[in-house]
Amino acid sequence: MKLVLPPGLSPQGFDGAVKALQGAVGAGWVMTSDEDRDAYADIYAPGPETLWGASGAVAPANVEEVQAVVRIANEHKLPLWIVARGKNLGYGTAAPRMPGSMVLDLGRMDRIIEIDPELGYCVIEPGVGFLDLYEHIQREKLPLMMSVPGNGWGSVLGNALDHGIGYTPYGVHASNLCGMEVVLANGELVRTGLGAMENNKAAHLFPFSYGPSWDQMFTQSNLGVVTKAGMWLMPEPETSVELNLEIPNAEDIGWVIDTLTPLRLNRIIDQSIFIPSWLGKMTILGQRKDFWDKPGAIPEWRVQELLKEHKLSYWNMQLRLYGEESVTKAKAEVVKAAFAKHLKTPIGERWWRKGDPTNVMDLTLGVPSAVPLQMGDWVGGRSAHMGFSPVVPATGKHVLDQMRRSRKIINDHDVDFYASFTIGGRFCNNVNMLMYDRDNEKQVETIKTLFNALIADAAAHGYAEYRTHLGWMDAISDTFGFNDHAMRRMTEKVKDTLDPNGILSPGKNGIWPSAYAAQRGKALA
Amino acid sequence: MRVGQAASLMVLMAIGIVVTACDVVASENQPAPAGGPPAGGPPPPPPHTMRAEMVEGDRLSSGMSGEALYSNRCGACHFDFGMGTNLVTKQQLAFGNPPAMGLLTNREDLTADYVKAVVRMGKGAMPRQTRVDITDAELEKVAAYLGKGK
Repeated sequence: MKLVLPPGLSPQGFDGAVKALQGAVGAGWVMTSDEDRDAYADIYAPGPETLWGASGAVAPANVEEVQAVVRIANEHKLPLWIVARGKNLGYGTAAPRMPGSMVLDLGRMDRIIEIDPELGYCVIEPGVGFLDLYEHIQREKLPLMMSVPGNGWGSVLGNALDHGIGYTPYGVHASNLCGMEVVLANGELVRTGLGAMENNKAAHLFPFSYGPSWDQMFTQSNLGVVTKAGMWLMPEPETSVELNLEIPNAEDIGWVIDTLTPLRLNRIIDQSIFIPSWLGKMTILGQRKDFWDKPGAIPEWRVQELLKEHKLSYWNMQLRLYGEESVTKAKAEVVKAAFAKHLKTPIGERWWRKGDPTNVMDLTLGVPSAVPLQMGDWVGGRSAHMGFSPVVPATGKHVLDQMRRSRKIINDHDVDFYASFTIGGRFCNNVNMLMYDRDNEKQVETIKTLFNALIADAAAHGYAEYRTHLGWMDAISDTFGFNDHAMRRMTEKVKDTLDPNGILSPGKNGIWPSAYAAQRGKALA
Repeated sequence: MRVGQAASLMVLMAIGIVVTACDVVASENQPAPAGGPPAGGPPPPPPHTMRAEMVEGDRLSSGMSGEALYSNRCGACHFDFGMGTNLVTKQQLAFGNPPAMGLLTNREDLTADYVKAVVRMGKGAMPRQTRVDITDAELEKVAAYLGKGK
């Protein structure tokens, strides 16, 4: 990819910034070739990658180098786009919102600083991947179980900071963050929570500060560079049982949610409950063309045929309970009794006890894997996906309402309907996977039109997305319009105060500093 | 359609029986007990393969072996039942090759230049790897390790 300069920076200015960065982190860790720009582009870009092209990347090794990079960026007015490991697939990968930004790649900062099995937490740097932490726990034989997302290739902190989700009792990852170290835009180092006291012994245990708590201010944000953070980990349970539930029809999701939410709120079920539709299983069995060889959506009659042929139900759920065996058994009976009111088919059980083997697909036992990303191969070619992910109240009424509307819109655009619901508490994350071949221009255009229609419809009915791709960060931000976007105006005031030159991730989640205010609404998909 | 489905089932079966040939750190995690897969279904997936640990040092002139670097930098997707292995296995079966060819360490046809090109330019579902993912020095060693072809 050819060099695109950030707004307002001359070629000479850019060269000066690059030279200064080379002095700070070493020439080998400032990457500005065309090939480097390609490597930092969005591999799943719905449209030309140049819409979100980086000017290069800089990779500091430690917090002092991060501070130096930030100071240089201020001096040279070089905007930085902060990534942990840059594996945010489906949301922009490592690519910046504003073209010409230099990626601040924290992948080299991969130290596991502390890990405490007694109180169940670790302190890690942003470059630590799920696999790194998992293998460390296995090597040290620590009685801890991780919560992992669909893409185990990514960063533990990066995922939590972008509000990623997993499928264990610790599945709402941002709520496991506790006590951060942050480099502010002026290069100053801050520790949040009790860590604001020198040598505080509970810095990663108590979730609040003395006074306002700032941890969440640095999630989905551009107000600082998180250089390390505490992350709570679940003590490894004595046992776990997986209950396999086969739910026959799409519309059954209503009673399923109404059965599960009370169990979740009463803590009979502790996990974030993942309820995927049939298409999830099909993507592992083969490619779309093996089952339906026409370009449009698979018609309902063929869906029903495929479900029969492959002995699949519309929703296939692997619910998991964790804890002491007697308690787990008792909980399983409660869950089974609740489902027996609606479901005549038997509920399969698969027990795991501490010390038992796990397999690469045991995501709900904390084994990280990138295999779920394989679903992209469903459409073939240079396959990619995006998720339309509204948050809905965890009741059958709301879930059915959202599903019916989004299903109709997706059908109207002649695209396959692949939904999942994850109950994280009082809410569900409803992820609708939209898969496309990047080289099929018509398919990309359809997905973009469809995405816009889904956002508008959800917002009109009172539902918002929890996370989105670069190309829609402004659009989603616009949907939070209460009192003339009062929350965004407040955040941008904070942004301008902390980062007057607007150098940290301008445009992240629709937060634009005054310095780049003219870029709002540009480089959209 | 039937051909596709049969191939898919073969992939699932094949992925389960691929044996890793690389030197990996021993894991306590044992495979499922003997006795074969449950009747009527594919075998369960294998346990996680532990990757070699990175050795502290200057990654711009790495002192690690190609084998250890391949394990650590590529193992997330290219070990048994990894995403990369699954997709390559599918391709290899389509070419009429045995499923074990899904593991890059078993391949005799890869050249060092080809490995470098795929790593930096991507291929199919494989994203381009940055020089933080794998440095040029590390890639040289990995390419030499995998590149047994002429």
